Amino acid sequence: THQLELFPDRSVTLLLFNHVKNAAALRKKAMEGCIDGALINPAMIVDPFQILVAANKAVHLHKIGKMKTRTLYTEIIFNLSPNNNISDALKKFGISDSDTAVLIVLVEDREKTVNLEDVASQVEGQQVSLDELPQLTDIAKIKKMYKLTPQEEKIGTLLDGIICRMSTKDVL
Amino acid sequence: GIPAPVVYFVDYVTNCIYLEDIVDSVTVRDHIASVQQCGNDSSSLLPLAEKLGELLARMHDEDLIHGDLTTCNILLRPPMEKLDLVLIDFGLSFVSGLPEDKGVDLYVLEKAFLSTHPDTETVFQTLLKTYAATSKKSGPVVKKLDEVRLRGRK
Repeated sequence: THQLELFPDRSVTLLLFNHVKNAAALRKKAMEGCIDGALINPAMIVDPFQILVAANKAVHLHKIGKMKTRTLYTEIIFNLSPNNNISDALKKFGISDSDTAVLIVLVEDREKTVNLEDVASQVEGQQVSLDELPQLTDIAKIKKMYKLTPQEEKIGTLLDGIICRMSTKDVL
Repeated sequence: GIPAPVVYFVDYVTNCIYLEDIVDSVTVRDHIASVQQCGNDSSSLLPLAEKLGELLARMHDEDLIHGDLTTCNILLRPPMEKLDLVLIDFGLSFVSGLPEDKGVDLYVLEKAFLSTHPDTETVFQTLLKTYAATSKKSGPVVKKLDEVRLRGRK
């Protein structure tokens, strides 16, 4: 769980699950709004910070009523994308029916706390430590998605390149 | 491919940009000052000058003009021996392919160098030499730099 520096009354919790058998059902529930969290494909995530940056922007836009998507959770998924196509973002960064690993992101504030066991019990899979995230990451897919160049990698980390694209995509 | 702080978040409400904090970094200005204070000869600054010349050549080859090149706007990331440079403060920057704009960019740095750091003519000369050797478009730029120097204060 991380507290957002710019929004100290909000905290972001990440839950990672592997060997998931009911991804299709989970995705359906998420689309119906029955799950109180963002269901993300862990293959596209290199570091929890990537999620925090997406969550920070989502909370900010939610507060000023300027979100591009309908819910805070779809906004988080959308913010992970380097482009402005919402359905593409949900497809690439959200979970698909065939996924066996799921990263669930929950945002809580003082008024609304989320029951972690409640959320975890809906997943037919094994909850694992976030330390296992690197094993689930698909670096090649990520480099292709974010169009990261070898030039850039000489200067900074993969995460740096990703964060830059996420935070400036609406400026360019 | 130019080292600069990573942009974390752009707030359009308050018009604030949240950037990466380069922890324990030192400005090139402070670094040069301390090197000179220790009584070290400016020749120990030559590798830094070469690195800087190379970095600026790459930046200008991408047609990026910094607009405010001073030794306070260039950071050195620890460990200092690695000469890991980071450019900051792009508030006055713009995109341009014109040799004139690149020449002025270098001129601003030269003036800043010589006015802030005494006896660093050779340092800047080395910077320029590496710049010319690294940049694919340096010929016209260096020519413009000479012209701007002759014009004196702009």
